[in-house]
Amino acid sequence: MALYTLAHMYPDLMNLYGDRGNLFCLRKRLEWYGHSCSIKSYGLGDNWDCSQVDMIFMGGGSDREQELVYRDLLRKSDRLMAEIESGLPVLAICGAYQLLGSSYHSSDGKLMDGLRFFDFYTRGEEGRLIGNIVLNSKIEGKSISVVGFENHGGRTYFQDSSLEPFGTVVKGYGNNGKDRTEGIRYHNLIGSYLHGPLLPKNPAIADFYIRAMSERKGIEIDMELDDYLENYAHQQVLKKAE
Amino acid sequence: MGLGMKKLLIILAILLGKIAIWLSHLLGKQGSNFPGQVARRIYPSILRELAANINEEIIVITGTNGKTTSTNMMAAIIKEKGYSLVHNQAGANMMAGITAAFVNASDLSGRQRFDYALLETDEANVPLLLQELTPKVLLITNFFRDQLDRYGELDYTINLIKDSVRNTDIELVLNADDPLVVHFQNETGLHCWYVGFANTEYDSFGSMESREGRYCVFCGSELQYERYHYAQLGRFSCPACGSHNPKPNFCGHDLQMNPRISFKVNNIDIKSPYQGFYNAYNILAAVSVSKLLGIQDDTIQRAIAAYQPRAGRMEEFFINGKRVVIILVKNPTGLNQTLSAIVSDKEAKDIFFALNDNAADGRDISWIWDAEMEIINSPEAQIATIVASGLRSGDLALRVKYSGFDTDAIIIKTDLKNGIETVVNKQGRVSYILSTYTALFECRKILVKMQEDSGEILEKQFETEN
Repeated sequence: MALYTLAHMYPDLMNLYGDRGNLFCLRKRLEWYGHSCSIKSYGLGDNWDCSQVDMIFMGGGSDREQELVYRDLLRKSDRLMAEIESGLPVLAICGAYQLLGSSYHSSDGKLMDGLRFFDFYTRGEEGRLIGNIVLNSKIEGKSISVVGFENHGGRTYFQDSSLEPFGTVVKGYGNNGKDRTEGIRYHNLIGSYLHGPLLPKNPAIADFYIRAMSERKGIEIDMELDDYLENYAHQQVLKKAE
Repeated sequence: MGLGMKKLLIILAILLGKIAIWLSHLLGKQGSNFPGQVARRIYPSILRELAANINEEIIVITGTNGKTTSTNMMAAIIKEKGYSLVHNQAGANMMAGITAAFVNASDLSGRQRFDYALLETDEANVPLLLQELTPKVLLITNFFRDQLDRYGELDYTINLIKDSVRNTDIELVLNADDPLVVHFQNETGLHCWYVGFANTEYDSFGSMESREGRYCVFCGSELQYERYHYAQLGRFSCPACGSHNPKPNFCGHDLQMNPRISFKVNNIDIKSPYQGFYNAYNILAAVSVSKLLGIQDDTIQRAIAAYQPRAGRMEEFFINGKRVVIILVKNPTGLNQTLSAIVSDKEAKDIFFALNDNAADGRDISWIWDAEMEIINSPEAQIATIVASGLRSGDLALRVKYSGFDTDAIIIKTDLKNGIETVVNKQGRVSYILSTYTALFECRKILVKMQEDSGEILEKQFETEN
C-alpha cells in the first residue's frame, strides 16, 4: 500500500461548482485500488514544493479571486512548469485553465496576465457559455466520450496551432464556441472548462491520472473497479445531450 | 393616451390577468409566469400603477436562503394584526410573478388599496423590480452559492443589487452575521438595520461546510472567525483592515432548539414550531422587520407561535404507520442543514432524493459536491438505504457513493413514484423524501395519495408545545 499526495491549490478561493469532487473521486478510487491518499490544501502565501506531491488540482474562482491566485502562483511558476515538463499530473479546471495561458482580457476592458505556460489567451465576451457538454477525447490511445457541465464567460483561443486540445466538442461550446476544441492536453496535464465535477462521471480520466501518478511512483495497478454507477451517470448525460 | 383609455387598459390588463390566473389554477400550474406576462403585455406599467395603491409600506425580501419562509412569517404577523396585504407566492418571485400577485389581489378597477405589500424576489430580479416600485424596506437574508449557473458568479449579482439601491431612500435590513451582506452599508450609505445572533450553544468553531466569502470584501485578506452559527454566518473580523460584524439592532439571544426553536429578540420571547438554525434566522428576520413596522410584541409572538411549516418544507405524512418527511433542497447550505437534521433524528431511516436539472432547479447540479454529504456515514446517522431519483439520479448516486456510502445500499430509481414506493417499503422507521424544486410538487402528490390509500388521517402535523 502506497500513499499518494494530492495538492489542492487555493481551495478557499478556487472552488466553484463542486470541483473539489474531482479530489474526492481520486481519493476514493485510490483507496479502492488498495492505496491511501492524502489531500493537502495550499493557500495564498503558503510555501510548498511541487516535487513533493503526486498531483496538482486547481479549480476556478471569480475574477477577484483569480487575480489574487495569479500573483501568488507567479512566484512558483518556473518550478511548476519544470515539473509539468517532467510529467507531473495536473488537472486545471475553468479559471485555473485560463491562468495557464498568456492573458485574460475581461469584457470590461481589464487585462490580466497569465502564467504563460502555453501560447493561448482568453477573452471575456458577451454571454456566458452554459450547459451540459459532451466531448470526444483520446485517453491512453483509446477514444472515449467525456461529459460535463460548462459555465464560462471567457473564450479561449490557441495561438500556437501545435497545442493539443483535451477533446473535440460533440455537444456544447468548449474553448470558444467556434472551433470545436475543448481544453488543453500536455503530457499529464489537462486544462478544461468541464465542471460536473469532471472525474466522477468520467472514470477513464480519473484512472488516467491514477495510472500516471502510479507510473511515476513505480507502482502497478492491475485491478478493475466496478464502475456501474459511474457509467450510469455518464450515459444519463449522453442521453440528455442527444 | 387619454385618461379614459388608460383606465380601460388597466381594467383589461387586470381582467385578463385574473382570467389567466384562473386558467392556470384550473390546469394545476402554480407559480406560472403566464398571468403576469399577460397583464404586463396589455399595460406595461401595470405593476407601477398597482404598487401605488399601498397605504403603508412595500417590503422587498431577497437573498439566497430563507426568503419564502421569512416572508410567509411576516405575512402571518401582518395578518394577525388585521392589516390587508399583497404577497407573492413562493416560486413566483420574478417580475411576472410579482405582477400577478398584485393583479390577483386587486379589484377590477385597479384602485383597491392595501396596507402592505410583501414581495420576495430573486436576487437577480432586485434591480428590475426597483425600477417599477420603491420599497420602504429591503431585507437581505444572506448570500450563499445558489443558481450560479443562471447568473454567473455571486459577486456580479451582489454588485447589481448594490447599484440598484444607491441614491434611494430605501432602508436596508441586513444580516449582521454574513460578511457578504454587511458591507452594503459602507458602499451605499443607506440607513441600515442589522439583525444577528449572539453566541449560541449550537455554534461551531471550524466546521467544514462549504463557505462563500471567507475573504474580506474590503481588502481581500482571509477573515478570522471567532465562531460560526452556520455556514459563513458567524462572528468574524478581518485581521488586516479591522472590518468586523456590526452590532445588531435586533439581536437574537438565548437560542434553544429542543428541537423546536425558542429564543429572545431584544428580550421578547419567541417560540416557534420550526426546527433548525436556518429557521431561527428566518424568524429573527420576520420579527425584526415587524418591529420596524411598529407591530406590538404580543401580536408578533402569537403569529410566530401559530405559524406551521408549509407544504414540502419538512411536512410530515403517515403511510402505513410510518412517518415520512418531505424536504425541499436546492443548494449546498440547505442540503447540509437538512442532512444534519436527518442525522440527529435518532430513528433508523431510509432516504429518497430526487435531483432534477430543469431551469427552476438550476441546470448545473454540481452543487451536490459542495455539500458535506459525508455526514451520512457517521455512526449515529442510521441510514440504511438511499434511493437516487429524478432526472439526474446518476449524479446523485455517484455523490453518495464517493461520500463513502456502501454501494450496495444505493438504489437508482429515476422514476419518482417507483422511487418513493421503494423507500417507504424499506425497514427503517422513518423515510426522508428530499427533492429539488421541480420534483417537489410531484413527490408531494405521490405522498398525499399514498397517505390516503393507507387510510390514515393526518391527525397532527405537529403536537402542541409540551
